[in-house]
Amino acid sequence: MAEPVIPDFGEASDCVAENRFFCTDWVRENWDPVLQPALVQHIYLTAIAVGVGFVISLGAALLAHRLRYVERPVAIVAAVIYTIPSLALFQLLVPVTGLTVTTVEIALVGYTVLILFRNTLAGLRSVPAEVLEAARGMGLTRNQTLLRVELPLAVPAIIAGLRIAVVSTIALATVAAFVVSKGLGGPILGALRLDFRTEIIAAGALAVGLAIVADGLLVLLQRAVTPWATARTAT
Amino acid sequence: MILAGLDVFANSLDFIVDRRELLLEKTWEHVELSIAALLLSILIAVPIGVVLGHLHRGSFLAVNLANIGRALPTLVVIAVGFTIFGIGYTNVIVALVILGVPPILTNAYVAVDEVDRDAVEAARGMGMTPLQVLLRVEVPLALPLLFAGIRTAAVFIVATATIAAIAGGGGLGDILVNQAAYRVEGLVAAALCVSALALAADGLLGLVQRWVTPAGLKQQISTFEPDVRPVV
Amino acid sequence: MIRKHNRRAAKAAFAIALGVAIVLGGAAAAPAGVDRGQATPIIIGTKDFPEQYVLGQLYKQALEAKGFKVQYKENIGSTELIDKSLRSGKVTFYPEYTGIMLSVTFGKKTLPKTALGTYNLAKQLYGKRGQTLLKQTPFQDRDAIAVLRTTANKFGVKTVGDLKKIPDLTLAGFPQFETRWAPSLKKNYGVSFDFTPLAGTSAYTLLSQQKVLAAAIFSTDPQLISTKYVVLSEPRNLFGFQYVAPVLDKDLVSENGSSFSSTVNKVSALLTTRAMIAMNKAVAIDKKPAASVARSFLKANKLN
Repeated sequence: MAEPVIPDFGEASDCVAENRFFCTDWVRENWDPVLQPALVQHIYLTAIAVGVGFVISLGAALLAHRLRYVERPVAIVAAVIYTIPSLALFQLLVPVTGLTVTTVEIALVGYTVLILFRNTLAGLRSVPAEVLEAARGMGLTRNQTLLRVELPLAVPAIIAGLRIAVVSTIALATVAAFVVSKGLGGPILGALRLDFRTEIIAAGALAVGLAIVADGLLVLLQRAVTPWATARTAT
Repeated sequence: MILAGLDVFANSLDFIVDRRELLLEKTWEHVELSIAALLLSILIAVPIGVVLGHLHRGSFLAVNLANIGRALPTLVVIAVGFTIFGIGYTNVIVALVILGVPPILTNAYVAVDEVDRDAVEAARGMGMTPLQVLLRVEVPLALPLLFAGIRTAAVFIVATATIAAIAGGGGLGDILVNQAAYRVEGLVAAALCVSALALAADGLLGLVQRWVTPAGLKQQISTFEPDVRPVV
Repeated sequence: MIRKHNRRAAKAAFAIALGVAIVLGGAAAAPAGVDRGQATPIIIGTKDFPEQYVLGQLYKQALEAKGFKVQYKENIGSTELIDKSLRSGKVTFYPEYTGIMLSVTFGKKTLPKTALGTYNLAKQLYGKRGQTLLKQTPFQDRDAIAVLRTTANKFGVKTVGDLKKIPDLTLAGFPQFETRWAPSLKKNYGVSFDFTPLAGTSAYTLLSQQKVLAAAIFSTDPQLISTKYVVLSEPRNLFGFQYVAPVLDKDLVSENGSSFSSTVNKVSALLTTRAMIAMNKAVAIDKKPAASVARSFLKANKLN
């Protein structure tokens, strides 16, 4: 067999060769093949987890609001799952759902539900008794009260919960890379093995940046929906 | 699918029994690391938080520190630490402290800041100096919420130490990131161990929290919970 | 006023959230179903290190250039994991090392004495499971032990057996190295060591930071180009033969005809040790993306 032609793949820039902390040339060259796909995957992972988690937690909160006894068991399960480190939770799910995005999503959805459930329920419960009485006095049925009074008044708490859920999920989704190679955790783990600073810093900055941007967008949403709430309510 | 899963869990129990020295060694490493990081975090965060709360200063920073801490993915903190310190203990401790300080500091701040003004006034009226007010009135009243923060940080640190294995942290994470060596059964076994560890830490500190809550205060504990992020 | 504002916002928010959740749920579910009733899909998988990314990209791009539709699952994990994916059909093609095929996938304790013997036995064993091998590459990538040149000079270490001369020998490597080779190293060379399993960083990092005295590495690692490291020779050839051959579903060969097999074999034939080390260097040291490196190589050799 003839010897193959080995093209010149291009030397690494000085910056990369010296393993400096951040090489803009590498970032520019690898944005398309490495960083952008990871970012998009990360957004996907987060969006699915929060979307599905929101629907589930809303249902669970409405249920708990109607039937008092539901809350305790959910709170206990919540407390336990909360305390389990995410990497451990992923590995506990792996035997059942395999090394797939599904495993990651189940865990992420679980964490999201717990945050949103607590906040939604608190929001529903925060409606003052006088308001409820007034509604009943006006002749609204229980369901009408729920739809027209309680849920709207719970919106600030729900959005506050969404804020926490989104930011937490973005952070947690980086650990997903231990299970399946998706999201910004992938480049970070790969770069750790190659001892490659730029990739770590670039992917890390993207993850933190994503969280900040998402938080900011949700703050805007919060302000738009509840203009009277001041910035002092930190949670 | 579920049946196959049960099979693995059964095998993981075998792993726990067969490799108990390994698991014990790793669990001990994990505990050592977590305690060291927690103590260091407390040493840094409590004085700052308590003083700020006493002075009712720096609320923006103190309260938002928890939010910032929440937005920092642990993997990123450890990886960035690796680029600065390389592999080893230093990197891991720094990362754990960075992530452990915010919940303690924020809670310490809010706890002292929100102490019943009347109680403080009364103490002042009795002639106590500011330092005496701080130590004899504010801190005791702030203990429950403060301990809630320490509890959050402890669970957080135990969880983060798991991932710190990739930077030479040791502990149960060493098993959890090494599927090739320990196979799924080993990983499940380590996952069960670290979960038990986290739950134990939470339970233990919960008891301590209840113990430091003066009887009269048990009803008045603020419902403020700054860091409800799940543990990474 | 406030209530009305809130009500509308709330309704809008819930409608949007519900819609988003449904759409995303559908999007997530959609790609999961691969129609197995028809032709066997070409799903190329790779293990979790740079040489595998390069190999995967080479085969993927070469096949795509010939008009085949290829799905690509990079970075699946270790041998056990990717073999599991192969058996369950999540992957139908991946590049494997012939020695590993026998020692890990089929659990053989002793390996054949020749490269061809290794390949043929593996092919036979895979055949029983419905898989086959295409031609193997000219290069092999097998386990090796390296030390810093300074260490080699200090203790006079040239072969694996010479490691006995180093007191308190520490060695870092992937966890499997200890299970696979420690006993036979002890038995054949009288060498024992304190093992540091790698968790997330490379053995070369530990070696150059002098955290260990020796490292279990691989013969096509590009770091070996540097004069800093010395690879120890291993006269008894314990580490076996590790030529790369694509493992694939038999149906892929029968369904896709000679164009498929010949394309894959043409790629494999080009992979000499020099070529592989050059590509590994581009990816691992010069940090170029594996896809571009593969593309350049295929282009230079007129395969895309």
